[in-house]
Amino acid sequence: MIPGFSTPRLRALGSWIVGSLVAVICAALLFAWSGLYNIAASSGHLAVTRAFLEFGMTNSVRTQSAMIEAPNLVNDVDRVRLGAGHYQGGCAPCHGAPGEPANPIAKHMLPPPPTLAPHVKRWQDKHLFWIVKHGMKYTGMPAWASQDRDDEVWAVVAFLRRLPHLTPEGYRELAYGSASAQRRPVTALLSSGSDTPDIAACAKCHGTKSAGPTSSLVPRLAGQSETYLAQALRDYAENSRQSGIMEPIAAELDELTVKAVAAYYAGLERHRDRQPEPSLTGDHDAGEKIARNGAPEEAIPSCLSCHGQNAAERYPRLAGQPQRYLALQLGLFRSGVRANTERARTMAAIAERLSDRQIAQVTAYFASLPPLSLTQNMRDAAVDAPAKQGAQR
Amino acid sequence: MTFFQTCPALILAAVLLTGCGGDQSVLSPFSENARTVNILSNVLFIGGFLILAVVIVLAGLAVFGSAHLRRRLAGENTVVVGGLVFPLVTLTPLLLYGYALLGAGPAPLDGQRPLEVTVIGEQWWWRVIYTDSAGNSIRSANELRIPVGRPVKLSLKTADVIHSFWVPNLAGKVDMIPGRTNTLTLSADSPGIFRGQCAEYCGGAHALMAFKVVALPAKEFATWLEVEQSPAREPQSQVESEGLELFLANGCGGCHSVRGTPARGTVGPDLTHVGGRKTLAAGVLPNTAESIARWIRDNQEIKPENRMLPYRSLEPAELSAISSYLAGLR
Repeated sequence: MIPGFSTPRLRALGSWIVGSLVAVICAALLFAWSGLYNIAASSGHLAVTRAFLEFGMTNSVRTQSAMIEAPNLVNDVDRVRLGAGHYQGGCAPCHGAPGEPANPIAKHMLPPPPTLAPHVKRWQDKHLFWIVKHGMKYTGMPAWASQDRDDEVWAVVAFLRRLPHLTPEGYRELAYGSASAQRRPVTALLSSGSDTPDIAACAKCHGTKSAGPTSSLVPRLAGQSETYLAQALRDYAENSRQSGIMEPIAAELDELTVKAVAAYYAGLERHRDRQPEPSLTGDHDAGEKIARNGAPEEAIPSCLSCHGQNAAERYPRLAGQPQRYLALQLGLFRSGVRANTERARTMAAIAERLSDRQIAQVTAYFASLPPLSLTQNMRDAAVDAPAKQGAQR
Repeated sequence: MTFFQTCPALILAAVLLTGCGGDQSVLSPFSENARTVNILSNVLFIGGFLILAVVIVLAGLAVFGSAHLRRRLAGENTVVVGGLVFPLVTLTPLLLYGYALLGAGPAPLDGQRPLEVTVIGEQWWWRVIYTDSAGNSIRSANELRIPVGRPVKLSLKTADVIHSFWVPNLAGKVDMIPGRTNTLTLSADSPGIFRGQCAEYCGGAHALMAFKVVALPAKEFATWLEVEQSPAREPQSQVESEGLELFLANGCGGCHSVRGTPARGTVGPDLTHVGGRKTLAAGVLPNTAESIARWIRDNQEIKPENRMLPYRSLEPAELSAISSYLAGLR
């Protein structure tokens, strides 16, 4: 027993504490019940409230992101361009962009979404990553739409690092890619009857007939089958394929538009851009061997049996796809992120058997091939197939 | 003892004895090897029984016998005779007899050129490769066809872990050990279909790693081998043609070979004559078009963690076309 604190005095102190707590809770309930507190966004915060919230937010971000390890984002143009493409549709409506002020509606949120350029300096890469991935309670900042796609979040962070240095022209070039010149409705390109969806949402990253994708993290869609492209969009819309970038875009498309977009890209024989010379990491010849014959000792089938020119339309053609994109997707298959459809599960089972080395090899091989369009494939196949079959007999 | 008192015992004996026959039983030998094993087992069983009887009698005497008898049993002689002399004179001849009976090394070929077959255990199926006199190899899986009366020289290997090749009606177990080739020579006396089973635990689906051995009269075997050597049967109907097309377009050829088509994968079983086999998936399913469709779709449920890819994205019509094509490959 501590001297001076006899049992009756302790009891009295206890009752006093409990009584005060009950009184405070009652007062709080009464205050909330009365509706006297003004929750209006229009009324703003007191300066002291704002300072307190800011203090709490800053420290929360720092503490919560303490364990994150950031990849090297310096000079990663592919990430910057992919991040820019998403920023334009996903972030700029609220945060604004160089030459494009935020929507006035967003400006009247509380807190108003800040113009990011001056703020980016305050944060390290991992802080920005945490904010973009998890969003913030009570601010209207949403979490990333696909919590398994950290790779996409890092792309946005890479872009945010570039943001303070961008002129309006620089921003337009990054964010809209070739689409800035091609803002025409897809129906005009297809001359078919439908709503008038704007191909620009796709073209800003995936390019158009005259220009390929802006980033090697983005697949080249020209020449893929309509079946495959439409199914990919449906998978994104149904959240059975994970992407914080593609899911929001696909979710807005109706079936007619899905078909129109798929038909547009399937109809392009190839992107008429100069395909960037792939700087390949990985043994290209070893990759060709796996692609053609598989690796039977590890139960890995040949890639071309499903991704070659004669395969069913439900599978994508891999020739000429950027190595970085292919390696990224194989990683997603292997880690189980891209394994939510029956089709993806077939591929995921194979990807689990691939080593990092083999992934580097096969992706180097496919990236080195000239992109072949399906229409062209079909023509070649029709000429080649009888001769080939005869030779094998 | 009346009939009704003995009846349950008789019924029980009858039920137990049914386990002694059948297509996977050491007690019903169909080859010289199996018969030798059977004879040796019988010698051991009967001898062991007799020794047990003597021991029981001696134990009884040691407890209930006269004082004189008990004193003699407790003497040093009992230990010397029962513990040293008796095991020496029984076990030594038995060892020599066993060596003589089983023969060290492969069984004699009696001047006949053996049929050479390589069997490779894989998790969880059997790759079977026949080699003809010209050195050509014919690939099959999960079924071994042999001619009656001719010795068959099996080279037993493994692609992964230790398996054990065991066809009780024809021969004893022989392990398949990584990095080694074990040889087993056997020959069947009379035609029949026997079941074999992996006899060494080799992972989750070990119990689902069985196979059939079909012993055929020499002439029938020759006919069968000729068919097995030939390329796959051409599709015979619209559905089968579609089946072949779908088989190729969905990448099945990445793992499986169908000779005569562009499918030339070597990861999984050769399917050139899959329709002619008795079972599917290493003795797990009866070989019908329905089973094939079920296997393509649900193979991970039927044999968990096997290396065949799950193909649940195929439409029912596609599955049925592929399976009718494959079932037709006799």
